[in-house]
Amino acid sequence: MAKGEALGEFEQLVLLAVLRLGEDAYGMRVRREIAERTGRNVTIGAVYATLDRLAAKGLLDASLSEPTPERGGRAKKSFRLTGEGVDAMNRSRQELASMLEGLVFPQ
Amino acid sequence: MTPPVLARMLLAAVAGENEAEYVAGDLHEEFLYLCATHGSRAGRRWYWRQVVLSVFSLWGLRMRNGEIAHVVAAAGLGVALPLLLLDRLWSFVYSLIPLKDGLDRAPGLLALNVVCACVLAACCGATAGSFRRALAIGVAVAPASAFAMWASAASAPPLYFWGLLVCAPASTLATFQWNRRSA
Repeated sequence: MAKGEALGEFEQLVLLAVLRLGEDAYGMRVRREIAERTGRNVTIGAVYATLDRLAAKGLLDASLSEPTPERGGRAKKSFRLTGEGVDAMNRSRQELASMLEGLVFPQ
Repeated sequence: MTPPVLARMLLAAVAGENEAEYVAGDLHEEFLYLCATHGSRAGRRWYWRQVVLSVFSLWGLRMRNGEIAHVVAAAGLGVALPLLLLDRLWSFVYSLIPLKDGLDRAPGLLALNVVCACVLAACCGATAGSFRRALAIGVAVAPASAFAMWASAASAPPLYFWGLLVCAPASTLATFQWNRRSA
């Protein structure tokens, strides 16, 4: 695998959050999901920069929704995993599982 | 309940034309939620923190999407560089005139420079896909063309520079509007 194809740690978190949220995966929900599950207080800018990078890699698909009043009349950009995104996540999971296999952590 | 105006302006200035709407919408949604659960002061503080800490990420995103490159290329390569080359041409023409001591740039040639700058800026305006980008190009075109003129004809009258500073950006925006209406 080429160096640029490997997923970074934050990219993995974002992809997992998108996978968890399903149809409702957009910037702020992804940010909140990561914050609630990992305790990391990430910024919306960092989340959108990562989402955009993953979409450019072809791992995510983006779609626009209609503007709503609770968003101040602004549209929402939702994301979902592509087939390549699912493959990349599976590969990452296998790599991590392989590295953890038989490992005994010091107490 | 509305988010802080200055923070919104900062976000609009930093985020690219594509991202500004989604990011502002997301922040607005969370801001209302925080105001309802933690009070307006906490909501405003959170909004400011998100915008300030997102500045570099959003700016990087804007550069990656090519918006900044387009603006710089339009202003620099589209207006400033052709104007400098045009002035080199005038210098060559002047060099052919015998006994040119005391001869300054002819007003006609300076006026032609302004017309060329406006035409170039108008062409750049036609390449802008949105009003935000046309505005950014217009703002960048003014100092770019003024710099080109300063570098080439520093002794030109102030009216000439003011004409450039006002007319070139106005041409960019006018062409964009005309282009949009006729599309």
